[in-house]
Amino acid sequence: MSRLHIADTGLFVAMGQPSNSCYQAVRRFARRNDIAFVLPERVYEELTVDDPDVEWPPIDAAIDEGWATVAAPLEFSEPVVSRVMDGIQRYIANADDRPADEVERADAALAALAALAAQHLSAGTATEVYISTTDIAAGEGAETVLGSEGYGDSVTFVNGFRFIEDLVAGDS
Amino acid sequence: MSRTSNRADGDIVRDFLAVADLLEEPQLAQLYAYLAQEGEATVQDVMDDLELAQGTAYSYVNRLVDAGAVDVTDDGQPRRYAAREIDLTVTAAAGDREYTITPALIDAVGRRETNADIDTYIDRHGVAGLATALTYAVARERGEVTHRLMAEDLEISPLAAEMILQALRLVVHEHYDIEEGGASLDEVNVGDGDTVDDA
Repeated sequence: MSRLHIADTGLFVAMGQPSNSCYQAVRRFARRNDIAFVLPERVYEELTVDDPDVEWPPIDAAIDEGWATVAAPLEFSEPVVSRVMDGIQRYIANADDRPADEVERADAALAALAALAAQHLSAGTATEVYISTTDIAAGEGAETVLGSEGYGDSVTFVNGFRFIEDLVAGDS
Repeated sequence: MSRTSNRADGDIVRDFLAVADLLEEPQLAQLYAYLAQEGEATVQDVMDDLELAQGTAYSYVNRLVDAGAVDVTDDGQPRRYAAREIDLTVTAAAGDREYTITPALIDAVGRRETNADIDTYIDRHGVAGLATALTYAVARERGEVTHRLMAEDLEISPLAAEMILQALRLVVHEHYDIEEGGASLDEVNVGDGDTVDDA
């Protein structure tokens, strides 16, 4: 049994800075269970964007501490990767009632999250995948699309907020 | 038109002006949201729970009463106050767009005092921008939109969108009955087995 923990932008935003008890709770959880959260490159780029209005979430600190890592580029030659990317874009387009090509442009990072999961499940390098996100549509979409690829029992959408709240409550 | 309906028109304008005051001043919005949540409170409760000085608390409460946003429910000693329900729908002249100003928006504005992300967002995008963000926050919690689509629509960075959506999330769950989707800690299996680090 090998498990892959994929994290979306919102999980790292929700943790706050390293002085925050949420950040510390997630770090403790990762260390205790020997987990490294894997981020698609696009998610990493989103977290480290050059925007003077926002304080960077502590993704580089988590990477330095060894419990977060940026994924290798996707293997687009794998048919399942592009199928899942298309599938999740259609799912979001349907949920939000907008054209799929607009979703493709705007939400490539989400497609990368789901495709990363598909790539590992299909190659057998992971047998269980957890996708932690704060976008309900993203999590439900990933579960639905990967389910239609036959990975329904192997994929779990983790609500990033509830996950952190439970960790913090368990620590106090 | 009857005199009663003329008077009802006046009530609507009064509500409109009260709402404008609330949206303009986060301290008033915070107090209104507090009273709306508590049901009824005395000035002493306001002082204790919002950590306001006596003079400030009386001044804010009286302003809300004068504006018609708050009623005195018990004239005894101490007086008790309650928020009047605000649910004001504004329609654009063309009639093709309307927006309902809800207690959720007033609550969100009131949190400017205590939430740095909401404060920054109002600085950049105004209360009008916050109202738009709140609409996205409700849709996101319902699983209808993602932070990246909001970012695309509003031409802000996905990170800025995520930050304001997170800041507004508690407001959304306090005012709307939305079930939270997804699994939590108890469904994350961490027993025996390897983890993949994708290196």
